[in-house]
Amino acid sequence: MSFPNVRLSNRPLHFIYLCDCSGSMAAQGKMQALNQAIRQSLPGMVEVAHQNPEARVLVRAVRFADHAAWHLAEATPVQQLQWRDLEAGGTTAMGEALELLADALRSPPMEERALPPVVVLISDGQPTDDFEAGLAKLMHQPWAQKAVRLAIALGHDANLEVLQQFIGSTAGGEDNSPRRPLQASNATTLAQYIQWASTAVVSAASMPASRITPTSQTQNSSDRAANGSNILLPDLPPTLMDPTDEDVGPLVW
Amino acid sequence: MNWLLPEATDLSFEGIEQPLRILSGLGGGTQGQVYAVQVGAEQLALKWYLPACIQRDPQLRHRLRQSIVLGAPNADFLWPLALLEPSASTKPLIRHRQAGFGYLMQLRPPAYVGAYLHAAGALEISLQNVLRACFFLADGFHQLHLKGLCYKDISLGNLFLDPNSGRILICDNDNVDIDGQGQGAVLGTPGFIAPEVLLGQVRPGTTSDLFSLAVLIFRLLTRHDPFRGQMELEIRCLDEPARRRLYGEDPVFIFNPSDSRNRPDPIEHAAALITWPIYPQPLKLLFEQSFVIGLRDRHQRALTGQWKLALARSLDRRQLCSHCGQENFPELQSSTNTCWSCRTNLPKPLRLQLPFGLVVAANGNEFYPHHFDRLASEDLRQPLGRLVAHPQNDGILGVQNLSQQCWQVRRRNGQLISLDPGMTCNLTALQQIDSCSGTITVLR
Repeated sequence: MSFPNVRLSNRPLHFIYLCDCSGSMAAQGKMQALNQAIRQSLPGMVEVAHQNPEARVLVRAVRFADHAAWHLAEATPVQQLQWRDLEAGGTTAMGEALELLADALRSPPMEERALPPVVVLISDGQPTDDFEAGLAKLMHQPWAQKAVRLAIALGHDANLEVLQQFIGSTAGGEDNSPRRPLQASNATTLAQYIQWASTAVVSAASMPASRITPTSQTQNSSDRAANGSNILLPDLPPTLMDPTDEDVGPLVW
Repeated sequence: MNWLLPEATDLSFEGIEQPLRILSGLGGGTQGQVYAVQVGAEQLALKWYLPACIQRDPQLRHRLRQSIVLGAPNADFLWPLALLEPSASTKPLIRHRQAGFGYLMQLRPPAYVGAYLHAAGALEISLQNVLRACFFLADGFHQLHLKGLCYKDISLGNLFLDPNSGRILICDNDNVDIDGQGQGAVLGTPGFIAPEVLLGQVRPGTTSDLFSLAVLIFRLLTRHDPFRGQMELEIRCLDEPARRRLYGEDPVFIFNPSDSRNRPDPIEHAAALITWPIYPQPLKLLFEQSFVIGLRDRHQRALTGQWKLALARSLDRRQLCSHCGQENFPELQSSTNTCWSCRTNLPKPLRLQLPFGLVVAANGNEFYPHHFDRLASEDLRQPLGRLVAHPQNDGILGVQNLSQQCWQVRRRNGQLISLDPGMTCNLTALQQIDSCSGTITVLR
């Protein structure tokens, strides 16, 4: 005597990490920080998948160094995902990674019907192969055009220009926007951005959140929707400050 | 989670005498973060807004003050109790340059879970309790609208329900405003927004609430979306522009009797096809009213009072299949009903004739003051009686006296029994019950 056990209508939501594993990622624990950030983000991602009856969240990952290769080749339901550590070493074949992604976003293997895929590119340096060719091949795929493309720049040596090209055009001068490369200068910020992408963005791509009236203050977010992204991206996480080391005034005078 | 407020810390707020102890963070969303707090001996919930949310919604503080003054429509709303502005000593402890503000509300009891879990099929719940939850939802909006207020953003995301009772809690009441007034920022949630609001023609108000309410009731009753049929299957990438077409520019109700363009697909939309036939015709007509004529003419949408009546009457006719035990809601006039689940014939059940209503004698069905008083509005909170199975032999059905007064029960052989409050008498050979509220006759 209970509600009928009916098959529910849903669509796949592909979430794909493109991870820079070049030699420079070995420095300052960046590789470990990225592995940790992704691993720590999984419970939250499972929770979001649980809350979004419309979506089947499937995760994959590409690693790129001297060459690009699938690190997690099979589209894995997030509930079953166990993150294997990435290892650093080699150059930065980012273009090849985009080609690999292009193959995966072709239909088939892509399903006929899906939610917008979410792709997160994480890099700390310069592409060492033909990035332009890779990007061109990627953007030839309709699912790549529909995808929510996000980029995280690790440290200060990342090439923000190529990351911006991957994301697509911006909505003008807004600095702190998800339509620009997210700059993570430390492990905490990286973890925040990974968590934001794997929860808030996944949620927005599968079950849209409340809409607000565009006013002068919110013009930026509606611009974001109009320019480039075909979902309304959620706010970035607020930048928290530690009250003990900021804004306390001069220490000595 | 990066919490804006320091946990395990006492914070003082403007206009509140006692400091609040922040116990722990409970959760966070796109708008703000919720904390468990201790105020004196009481534990409450505190919602603290993210700076970006405050920035884009300049009327937020004003609406919260207004809601606090007006008070909750009924106890099913987790209503704002007090506005919290940080004191000078609290501001430096908040981990953001803009300290912001928040409000206090009751904590949500753990028995209440997100309604999305039901929509996701992750909840064991009876059809009776789903219908009850829909009733309480319609009743909550009835009380809210009677106060001249509108909610603006009802969706699966701000409804919680107790699967064991069908009781609900409506959360996130911070968009509530006086209908037709205010320039609140929210439009609603895609999939629930009325088409005229999604297209930017009309601002949200009570008539768009009625649309969203109908969508939410539909989703609770069917675990499916009322506008996702064939036309959804034609969409490859379900993104913002696609949702705008599906819900705004050309929405077609999947069961629109005169437009079959958007019928459910037997495989992709099986949930809708299995669940829709379960429900009585008067309920289905309210969906047609809201999603066919009411789609374009917002003044034609089913009203909260109509939903309450249709849902309460559906519950009255609940019958259990003798073969599979499944809950059915058959036409009482029809003589050829079959169980929707196992197709067994449903025999005409015993019924209780009340002064203003007919209740089928099935384990768990209840009758209420509105069955005895034409002027009483439907309300499921205080049953006067309930049909219950014998604890040792569930083949024996009885009527339990849930009122405060003794009932006089007359059996078919003329025997009279006094039934004290809380006691149950066997329905077999029972002819009539005289209660203070009125007479109940058993129809066979």
